[in-house]
Amino acid sequence: MPVPLYGFLQGDTVGLLILAEEGETLQALAQKLQDAASLRVAGRDQVRIVYNDKTMDLTMTVAQAGLQALDRFDVVSG
Amino acid sequence: MLGREEWLPLARKLDWDYSYVREEEVFPEVISGRPWLPHSEWKDWEESFKTSYREYVDNQYEKDMAVQAVHDAVGRIENVQKLALPWLNSLKVHAAALPLAEFTGVIGNLRGARFGRDSAWRTMATFGALDEYRHTQIPLLLFHPLLRLDSQFDWAHKFYHTNNWFAIAARHFFDELTVGQNAIEFHIATNVVLETGFTNLQFVGLASLARESSDHMFERMVTSIQTDEARHAQIGHPVLATVMKHDPAYAQYLVDKWFWRNWRIFSILTGLSIDYLTAPDQRPYSFKEFMEEWIIDQFLRTLDEFGLDKPWYWDLFMDELDIYHHMIYASAYSYRATLWFNFVVPGPAERKWLRQKYPKYWDDMDAVWEQISERWRTVGPGAENEFAVHGTALPTFCDLCQLPLSAGTPRKNTARVLVHDGRKYIFCSEPCQWIFLREPERYANHKDVVKRVLSGEAPAQLPNLLTEYFNLTPETWGKDVHHGDYEWLRARKDSAA
Repeated sequence: MPVPLYGFLQGDTVGLLILAEEGETLQALAQKLQDAASLRVAGRDQVRIVYNDKTMDLTMTVAQAGLQALDRFDVVSG
Repeated sequence: MLGREEWLPLARKLDWDYSYVREEEVFPEVISGRPWLPHSEWKDWEESFKTSYREYVDNQYEKDMAVQAVHDAVGRIENVQKLALPWLNSLKVHAAALPLAEFTGVIGNLRGARFGRDSAWRTMATFGALDEYRHTQIPLLLFHPLLRLDSQFDWAHKFYHTNNWFAIAARHFFDELTVGQNAIEFHIATNVVLETGFTNLQFVGLASLARESSDHMFERMVTSIQTDEARHAQIGHPVLATVMKHDPAYAQYLVDKWFWRNWRIFSILTGLSIDYLTAPDQRPYSFKEFMEEWIIDQFLRTLDEFGLDKPWYWDLFMDELDIYHHMIYASAYSYRATLWFNFVVPGPAERKWLRQKYPKYWDDMDAVWEQISERWRTVGPGAENEFAVHGTALPTFCDLCQLPLSAGTPRKNTARVLVHDGRKYIFCSEPCQWIFLREPERYANHKDVVKRVLSGEAPAQLPNLLTEYFNLTPETWGKDVHHGDYEWLRARKDSAA
């Protein structure tokens, strides 16, 4: 079951709805948001995911990180 | 026969004591508004125009004839065809957003005409309702025939009857401001905050832009409307003065709430027109400069006059003057097919102007436009490439203002998630969350576009969302005015080659 999340990419002008899979890694989630915002923000290699004011381990899955439906996550420069 | 000065005061101030019903039943708090006070506290309500019905009709007739004369002289389709394309699209924004919003003003004024607490107030609100009906009819009369020129003008009638995301936001605003509002809050929010403040953006700012853009029809229309606004806006000030006397904290709340709600809507309606949809050589000032001169100074004088404080979010608001409408425009450009008018990419000269006017955050906005321009350069111009330079993921919306989550800056978006009564909400900013938490029963059950998609009420796929839910068609949905074919972009491509 996809998990709908509010994704905010640093450098972008609007938050986007990102449908995450519970088993996908945060690295993949970050890439998904970068791809979705690529019209407005150039891609970056080094990024971090911030959730609840904490930088997350990108190898964790969405479920392991505790991301719940309609939570906010941020992808910021690394 | 009585002379005017003998009968008019009697007719305007015709209040009496009730013997068969209680005053609270004639003017229930739920619809007259709070604080509920006996008429003795309202009996000195007064305004300076003191118009009679005959005088009203005579004046309005003259004004309507003047608008008609300008329409006959310069309002034909061939005149409109000569206008610059970006400005024509600014007209489409207002053709859609203005008329039926004014019609909701009819309803709000009629509530004041029945449930206002003094007869002079009720008399003036009756004229206010007639005014707003005029403000509905004139733009419909002038704009809808332009459908023959451009099918996007169909939205003059259609806009508020759709579930387009901006229509949802505008309805959320106007339904609360006017249709579903008690008389006291309506007159403070509409007359004091909107009409003596924000409509100056439309009726003074846009009128001067229209003149610079040689759009004399629009200029005449909005200045004619402004003369009505100046009169019926007088209703709100004595209402606010009485509420301030009996419940100053509530008066402060109403002003704070409605200044913010007005700011959100008008920064988009007017900000985009001034800073993006007018040719640079026809912009006498920036949106921010206009706000500072015409809105902020006047609003602060009004606060001072009533002994009110600046809204608690004032510093945040002042910061937003530099960035909010730029965030919205770039977002809307990249989702332009979700709207009913066309957009332009600001070229190098415009971006230089914007940098001069908005130095604080422009570096970050410039990077966004550089990226969008680069996409057009890569795919090449053409109508067939519109969707290659368009967003695909669903943008997200605030649970209070219903506008995109585009507040803050590109470096730090200020959206915030709130769990309330077991449900998750997201707000674009602290003031939107604050308004929600002051009156959650009013707002909690309204669904923004994302929640409608997730509940299956609206389609999830963008093409279906556009056609089935936003009521757009390939002919009417928004596009780049030039389909990416900009001289400056071609020059850049040539030099790159």
